[in-house]
Amino acid sequence: MIDPITLQQGTDWRAQAEVFDEIFFVFLTLGTIVGIIVVSYTLWNVYKYRDDGGEPDEDFDAPVVGELPTGQGGPKAKKLFLSFGLSAIVVISLVVYSYGLLLYVEDGPDTGDEGDIEITVEGYQFGWEYIYPNDHSQQNELVVPADQRIDLKITSRDVWHNFGSSDLRIKSDAIPGETSETWFSVSSEEVEEQGGEATYLVECFELCGSGHSAMKGQITVVPQDEWEEWYADTGNDSETENSSSVEGDLATPNLKASAAGGVST
Amino acid sequence: MSELPPTTSVRRWLVTTNHKDIGILYLITALFFLLFGGVLALLIRLQLWDPTSQILSGLAYNEAVTAHGMIMVFWFLSPFAFAFGNYVVPLQIGADDLAFPRLNAVSYWLYLFSGVLLAISFFQGGTLTAGWTMYAPLNVPMYTPSIGSTGAILALTMFIVGVTASTVNFLTSIHHSRAEGMGIMDMPLFTWSILATVWMMLFAFAALLGALLILGSDRVLGSVYFSATEGGSLLWGHLWWFFGHPEVYIVFFPALGVMLELFQTFSGRRIVGRKWVIIAICLIAVQSFLVWMHHMFLTTINLEIKTLMMATTIGISLPFDLIVFSLIYTLMKGRIQFTTPFLFAFGALLLFILGGITGVFLGAIVLDYEFRGTYWVVAHFHYVMFGGATALVGAIYYWFPKMTGKMYDEFLGKLHFAAFFIGFNAVYFSMFLAWETPRRVFEYDPALQIFHQVGTVGAFILGFSFLIMFYNLAKSFVSGPDAGENPWDYSRTAEWAVSSPPPLENWPNRPSYASGKLEFVKDYVPDGGPAVRADEDGNAATDGGDNHADHIREYAHWDEHPSHASIWPFSLSLATGIMFLGLSGFNDSISIGAADSLATTPVTISNPVYPVLAVIGLLGVVYSGVKWGLEDFYAPPTEFAERWPFNGVEKVKLGMWFFLASDVLVFGAFISAAVFIRYNAGWQEWAPLTESLPGLVNTFVLLTSSFTVILALVAAHRNSRKGLLASLGTTIVLGLTFLAIKMWEWHHEIYDVGVTIAENSHGPPIQASIYYVTTGLHGVHVVGGLLIAGFLFYRAYHGAYMNDDRPIEYFGLYWHFVDIVWVFLFPLFYLF
Repeated sequence: MIDPITLQQGTDWRAQAEVFDEIFFVFLTLGTIVGIIVVSYTLWNVYKYRDDGGEPDEDFDAPVVGELPTGQGGPKAKKLFLSFGLSAIVVISLVVYSYGLLLYVEDGPDTGDEGDIEITVEGYQFGWEYIYPNDHSQQNELVVPADQRIDLKITSRDVWHNFGSSDLRIKSDAIPGETSETWFSVSSEEVEEQGGEATYLVECFELCGSGHSAMKGQITVVPQDEWEEWYADTGNDSETENSSSVEGDLATPNLKASAAGGVST
Repeated sequence: MSELPPTTSVRRWLVTTNHKDIGILYLITALFFLLFGGVLALLIRLQLWDPTSQILSGLAYNEAVTAHGMIMVFWFLSPFAFAFGNYVVPLQIGADDLAFPRLNAVSYWLYLFSGVLLAISFFQGGTLTAGWTMYAPLNVPMYTPSIGSTGAILALTMFIVGVTASTVNFLTSIHHSRAEGMGIMDMPLFTWSILATVWMMLFAFAALLGALLILGSDRVLGSVYFSATEGGSLLWGHLWWFFGHPEVYIVFFPALGVMLELFQTFSGRRIVGRKWVIIAICLIAVQSFLVWMHHMFLTTINLEIKTLMMATTIGISLPFDLIVFSLIYTLMKGRIQFTTPFLFAFGALLLFILGGITGVFLGAIVLDYEFRGTYWVVAHFHYVMFGGATALVGAIYYWFPKMTGKMYDEFLGKLHFAAFFIGFNAVYFSMFLAWETPRRVFEYDPALQIFHQVGTVGAFILGFSFLIMFYNLAKSFVSGPDAGENPWDYSRTAEWAVSSPPPLENWPNRPSYASGKLEFVKDYVPDGGPAVRADEDGNAATDGGDNHADHIREYAHWDEHPSHASIWPFSLSLATGIMFLGLSGFNDSISIGAADSLATTPVTISNPVYPVLAVIGLLGVVYSGVKWGLEDFYAPPTEFAERWPFNGVEKVKLGMWFFLASDVLVFGAFISAAVFIRYNAGWQEWAPLTESLPGLVNTFVLLTSSFTVILALVAAHRNSRKGLLASLGTTIVLGLTFLAIKMWEWHHEIYDVGVTIAENSHGPPIQASIYYVTTGLHGVHVVGGLLIAGFLFYRAYHGAYMNDDRPIEYFGLYWHFVDIVWVFLFPLFYLF
C-alpha cells in the first residue's frame, strides 16, 4: 500500500514540460539567429556577385569544358574551416548543455522513492489500460494525485504504440514484450488553477492501425485527499463501472487542457 | 545480339541496354511516381483540411499515408536521382556505358514492375497500412491481413533486388571504367556523390533486403519473427533504422552532388575546399551507419547507448556544416547566373539549411522525446529529403538540353520555381508551427487547424507547379530552340564536350585525361595485336570535342561491335513481377494440413490463381536466366582506365566482390536477428533444436565441394575438359547431397519431432522460425549455386571455358562464400 506524502516542489523539482520549454527556447532562439544570419549572408552574397552582364574581374578564371580540377584545397579554405569551427562549437555546446538536463529527465527528481506511485500503462488497439499498484485497472482515464511523482511503466499488448501527452511533455514507446518508463508530476497549484481537477490529453504517437487517430485518453490530476479517497474505493471496484464513467467524460474531451508551461508554475 | 531499333520504335525502349536510354526511362518513370505519390499526398492534405473530416476512412487514410511514404522514398527519390546517375555518370567519367549494360536494364525493369506490383496492391483488398516504417508487429498478417499488404512488401523486396543490381553496377563502373588520367580525386562532384551513395546503398539496402526477406517469410511462409515478444518489435526497429538512416543520405547525396555541380557551373567558380568536401562526403557515408538508434530514443535502449548515439549524431552534422559553408563560399566572387537550374539548386541549399537547423533540435534527446511521432519530424525530413530533391528538379532543367538537344523555356522554368518554392514552404513550414499534431492522425487539435489549412493550400500550389514543368518540357521538346552541345557558359564536365544528345557510344574517340585535360585519342592496332596508346602528341586528339560530327567509332581494335540490345532483362523482370504477384496471395490460397510425412500431407488450394502465377513466374525467371546466359552479348572492356583502389581486378570479378559484400550484409541481418532474439529470450534458455550429426556431415560435404570447385578451376586452366566436367560434376553431386541431408533433417523435424516454422515443442516458436528461415535462406543460396553449376556443366560439356576459365573462378567465389556462411550457421544452430 502506498503511503503518500506531500512533497515540496523545491528548486530541484522540475517537470519535464519545464525542462523541455527551457531547452526548446534556447534552441529556437539560437537556431533562428543562426538561420537568419546564414541565410541573409548567403542571399546578400548571391545578389552581390550576380552576373550583371558587365566585364568579368581580372582575377576571374572561367572554367573550361574538360578541365581536371586543380588545387583541391582551393581558395578560402581557411575561411571555410573558421566557419566550420564556429558552427561546431555552437552545435557541440548546445548538445552538451542539453545533455545535462537529459540526465535529470532520465532519472526524474529524487524523492527517496517514498510516495512515488508506479502505474503500468498497457496500450492496445485502440486505447490505454492503467493498472494501479492495488491491481485496480481502468481504461483510458488515468486518475492521479497532485504533488506526487508518478512513474509510468509502459508496454503494449498488441502492436507498437506510443504513449504521450503533449501538455505534460511526456512520451514513451509502448512496445509488446518491452517495458519503457517515464514519469510526471503536477503541482496542487496547477490543479487549483484548473478548478480542482486538471486534465491532460493523451494521444498515441505511433501509427497503430485504423483507429490510431482516435486513440486518445486523458490524465486527470486531483488533490491528494480526493485521490486517496477515490483510490481506497478502487480496491473492490469492478472495471466496467469505471470505464463507463470514463467514456462519459471522454465524450466531450477537453482537447487543449492547459498551456504546457503552466504545469509547474 | 540484336541491333538497337530507332528511338521512335517502342521496341527500342524494351530492349535497350544503353545507359542514356535507361536514364531517360528512369526519369519518366520516377516523375510518374512523383505524380502517384503526390496525388496521395493531396488526399492526405484534403483530409487534414478539417480536424474532424472523414473523406477517407481510418484505414484508407493509413493506406494513403503508407503508400505516399513508400512511393516517395523508394519509387521516386532514389530512381529520380539515378536517372541522372545513369545518364551522366558514364559521361562524366569518360566511359562508354555502365560496366554491365544488361544488368542495368534489369535494375530498371525490376523498378518499373515492382512499382506496378505496388499499384496492384491497392486492389488486393487494400495496400499496406503500417506506415512506410512498417513498425512490427503491425506489419505481420495478424494486424494487416490484406493480400495487398503482402503485395506491397514483396513489391519493395523486388525493388531492392533491382537496387542491389544497380549498386553493384555503379560501383564496378566508377571503380573500373574511369578514363585514363581521371584519378578518383579528379572525378566531378556529382559522380563523387553517386559513388558515396552507392557505397552506402550496398550495405544499407542489403540490410533492408535481409529485413524484408524475414518479413516476407513471416507473411508468406508463416514464420513468427516480428510478432515474437522476445524482442521481435525492437528487432524490426534496429534492422529498419540500420537501413533507414543511411537511406536519408542515400536520397540526399545525389541532390547534394547536383548542388555542388550547378553552383560551380552557374557561378563560374570552382568548389571551395574541394578536397575537404570529398573527405566530408566520405566521412558522412561511414558515419551514417553509426547513428541509427537516434530514431529509437524512446524505446527501451539504455542511457549509455543513447549518449553514444547522441554523440555520433552530432558528429555526423559537422561534415554537413563544412559542405554547406563550402557551397556558400563557392558562390562568392563568382558571376552568378540565375537560370532555372541554379534557382532550384540554390533553393535546395536554403531549404537544406532550415532542415539541418531543425535537425539539430532532434539531436538533443530531451527535445527528441517530445518531437518523436509529431509533425516536427515530418516537417524536418521533408525539408531535408524533398528539400534536397529540389536540386534534382534543377537537374532536370540542367541536363534537359543534353538529353534532348533542345532548350527549355526560361520564363516558365522560373515560374515553376516561384510556385514550387512558395508552395514548398507553405506546406512544410506550417508543419513546424503545427508540430504538436501526432503523425499520421487526421483528428487533431482544432487550434492548429489554420496551420494545416495553409499546408493544404501550399500542397496544391506545390503540386500544380509541376504541371508548369511538364508543359514546359513537352513544349520545349517539340518546338524548343536547339541547345547545342554546351548551352552553359562555365560548365566543366565531359558530358558537355559531346553533342546533344550524345552519340550511342558517347565519344568520337577514346577520351583521355592523361595530359591534364580531356582529349579524344585514337588508338593504333599494330598487326592485329592489342591496342596501344597514342603518342603524347596524339595524332587524332581533338580539343574539347570540336570535331565529333562523325558518330562512327574508330576503335580499330574492336573486331566485335558492342551490343546495346537484349530482351532478356525485360523478360526476366516481368517474370519476377509475376512470381512476386503470385507469392503475395500464396499464403491465403493454400492450406497445408497435418500429417505423418510429406507424402501424405493434404494440401488444399482454395484459389489457384496465385499459386499458378507464382509457378509461371518462376519458370519465366529460370527460362529468361538461361537465355540470358546463352545470349551473345558483348560489353567491351575498357582498355585504359583508372581503377584505384582496384587495379588489376577484372570487371566481372569486381562486380562479384561487390555482390558478395552485399550478400554478407543480408546474411548478417539474418544472423543478427537470430542472435538478437536469442539474447532477448535468454541465451541459455535455448538448446539446439536438432541433433548435431547431420549438420556436421553437411559441413564436411560443403567444405569438400569447395575443394572440388578449386579443382574445376585448375582443370579449366589446364584446358582439361574431362577434368573440368569431373570436378564440376562432383561439386554438383556434393551440393545435392547437402540438400538431401537437409531435406531429411527438416522432414524428421517436421513429421517426427513436430517442430514446424511456427510451432516448437522444445521452446518458443520463434526459435523454430529462426532455424528454418536462416538455414532455408542458405539452402536457397545452395540451390541457386547448383543451378549456375548445372549451367556451367552444360556449357563445359559443349567445350566452353577452355581458354577462358574466369566464369569458373567467379562461380567459385560465390560457392566458397556460401560454404563460409554455413561455417557460421553450423555452430549457431547445431552446437550451442
